[in-house]
Amino acid sequence: MIRAAPLVLAAAALAALTSALAAPASRPERWWAPGEGRVFPAELDYENETGTLRTMLVGGPMKTKGHPFFAPIGPNGRACVTCHQPADSMSLSAQTAQERWTATNGRDPLFAAGDGSNCPTLPQATRASHSLLLDHGLIRIQRSWPPKDLTGKAITPDFTIETVRDPWGCNTGAKYGPAAASPNVSVYRRPRPISNLKYLLAVGFAYDPKQGMPLPLDPESGRPMSGNLMADGRAGTLNAQMRDAASTHLEFLKNMSARDMARIVYFESRLFSAQIRDRRGGALDAGGAEGGPDKLARSQPGNLGSQGPAPVWSEFAAWEKPDPSLTPEQSAFRQSVARGARSFREKMFLISDSAGINSPIGFGNPVRNSCVFCHNMTQMGNDVAPGQVDLGTTTQPFADPAPHLPLFRITCRRDPHPHYGRVIYTSDPGYALTTGRCADVGKITLQSMRGLAARAPYFSNGSAKDLRAVVDYYDRRYRIGYTEQEKQDLVNLMSAL
Amino acid sequence: MFAVLLAAPAFAAAADTAETVRFITCPIYRDTDAGKKSGCWLADDRAGGRRFDVSRAPSKPDWNFEILVEGRIAADVASHCGGLVLEPVRSSVLPTPCPRHMLPAEGFAGNKFTLPPRNVRPLSEVRKAPEPPFADRTFHLVFDFDKAFIVYQLDDYLLDQAITWIRGVNPTRVVVTGWAATDPAEVSGRTIAEDPAIARTRAELVGEALRRLGVPDEKLELRWKTSAQPVAAEGADGLAEPSRRRVDIEVKL
Ligand code: HEC
Ligand code: HEC
Repeated sequence: MIRAAPLVLAAAALAALTSALAAPASRPERWWAPGEGRVFPAELDYENETGTLRTMLVGGPMKTKGHPFFAPIGPNGRACVTCHQPADSMSLSAQTAQERWTATNGRDPLFAAGDGSNCPTLPQATRASHSLLLDHGLIRIQRSWPPKDLTGKAITPDFTIETVRDPWGCNTGAKYGPAAASPNVSVYRRPRPISNLKYLLAVGFAYDPKQGMPLPLDPESGRPMSGNLMADGRAGTLNAQMRDAASTHLEFLKNMSARDMARIVYFESRLFSAQIRDRRGGALDAGGAEGGPDKLARSQPGNLGSQGPAPVWSEFAAWEKPDPSLTPEQSAFRQSVARGARSFREKMFLISDSAGINSPIGFGNPVRNSCVFCHNMTQMGNDVAPGQVDLGTTTQPFADPAPHLPLFRITCRRDPHPHYGRVIYTSDPGYALTTGRCADVGKITLQSMRGLAARAPYFSNGSAKDLRAVVDYYDRRYRIGYTEQEKQDLVNLMSAL
Repeated sequence: MFAVLLAAPAFAAAADTAETVRFITCPIYRDTDAGKKSGCWLADDRAGGRRFDVSRAPSKPDWNFEILVEGRIAADVASHCGGLVLEPVRSSVLPTPCPRHMLPAEGFAGNKFTLPPRNVRPLSEVRKAPEPPFADRTFHLVFDFDKAFIVYQLDDYLLDQAITWIRGVNPTRVVVTGWAATDPAEVSGRTIAEDPAIARTRAELVGEALRRLGVPDEKLELRWKTSAQPVAAEGADGLAEPSRRRVDIEVKL
């Protein structure tokens, strides 16, 4: 994993005339502490395991002093930036959490009892009480139960939920869990990156084909919502998301002011992140390739790769042609990325028993398709349609064993679930916590796919420790039968996004 | 009623030569590979012993459940899957479980995916506004058996046409009538009939869909009825049985 410095230098030298050498001379501090008042530059680069991630702030540098994204507006000393860090592609890696633990002896506001520990009832000074954040990058999300619809009316769920396993005590007892006096359900999820948001907010079509309905309208603006925010789709807009975040992560109970919300939205809408340089391959926007955030900032969001103008990950199409002027290592990397992009689109496998795809939309169960079937938006790899799909990452029997997570038993009261039957075991019911429908149990909203190298572990429950583990999960889940080379190609592709 | 009378001749013309079939069976998936969505769906009619290719159904089978097959034999169309091609064809997933069965390709090519003609265009593509003279008009959405789900690349397309028309003509009223095919029928030795409650569910679903697409509440009127009879509905492609399971959207000027 650690490459000798001379090698890096050699690669950089060979990539002269590329942006590789344009890196800023002094390295910015990795950790952005709430309220520290640094200026957010127009271009911010951070190293990660495979290369360099770049975050661009379109429109130029911004003073963060007093800015509501960076200011600790709640009583717990946290700001939005605590969990949405530039070095981690505006998410938060488990490694960063560990570094904060070590640097502050566990006293960083990141580890606030409310959601930065496995459960607030645990002794807060010990590492074990924060193991989910430290080892898996997970934040506790407490949903009230039953959920409310967009107008605030309580939904009558068509299933019951009981706690089967509760390793941390946040799903049982008088205060916590579905059987508490005011019922709630705690699940544990990865922070989602908040750059490139125009792609997640883009509304390509008027319909959600998975739910078989036109997109729901935002009660605030009356406009259709993309349905691509949050693992369980509970917030349809950045404003709704912010109210949720402010009252939970920041323990800031007053509604945020309209002005603060507008400032945050404006900041978020100008942020674009992507890997810009690879240690072996050099600049990711060289040799005809179009990696990096600049292209993202300039492009129109919301296009289905299959309907043009450009297929998903065609950013790297130019690398399909070998370039004799490169070092063997660089050349091998570029071609591997180009093959990975092709395989992402073209390697077919049988997708089965994944609600949202195999039911009820009518594609059939099973259906033959590739990664791009679900990850279909050009340049971003999220879903153009609202992306609530049950990949099985949180639900048995497809989920990997996760003794560190709670386990719930769901019993469908009316129709059984189309693939799991009447009784379902899950560590995170996902979208069903928002809709109250048993057919939605296990559906998790697809994330964007940029800046992956900076924000391990992956999947909303952090179950894939690295990109190889992501590919291995798919290989097991759908019995794809990838060769070693194909796996490596996909890993290289994803590390270059 | 008016619609039924108008429709009758169109039906007779389309259906007079080719044989239509209606049966219940467990689907078989044939693992052909001609790229995305190219797998085959086969269905054996237990009574007649014939194997049909139902791959062209807008909503395809689930290998874990029985299906109700309704279709017309397209005798002159060669199958890439092995079976008599049904086209048009509908397959409705039923709640009764089936053993999963998957056949290898066995030399069959499968169907290369082409974008179906009924596909909703992205919002960025401007819709062609309807042109006068305007008159009252009825649109139909057609559903799978006992289901109230707006089928992708069929009903969403028809709904898009309806809303484009509604936006263009600015009607005084939109009457949404949900129907359920509740008259019992004998199929594969079983008596089947839709749940009467599905009529209301369908009406409310389409009402909510139209609301989200901008039809104001005060213009919408919801009704639901049972004992549905066949009509000429574009979405049924001339198949009588599926046309009973529908929602009528009557746009009144
Ligand atoms: C304690 C950590 C934490 C803090 C502080 C925090 N977030 Fe988050 N954020 C998360 C987690 C975890 C998720 C994913 C939640 C889920 O999927 O259910 C998330 C999701 C989001 C998303 C959705 C992105 C997507 O792609 O779905 C946005 C936008 C966001 N946060 C913005 C903010 C803002 C603005 C603030 C400050 C008001 C904030 N966050 C504070 C942890 C945090
Ligand atoms: C059936 C739809 C589907 C297919 C096919 C699919 N994915 Fe996914 N993908 C999802 C869903 C849903 C998620 C979110 C799951 C979660 O977070 O638990 C996801 C998440 C991911 C993530 C995690 C991103 C993050 O931020 O943690 C990666 C990486 C990924 N997919 C890569 C792939 C690759 C590579 C393939 C092809 C082998 C593929 N996907 C095929 C639906 C799909």
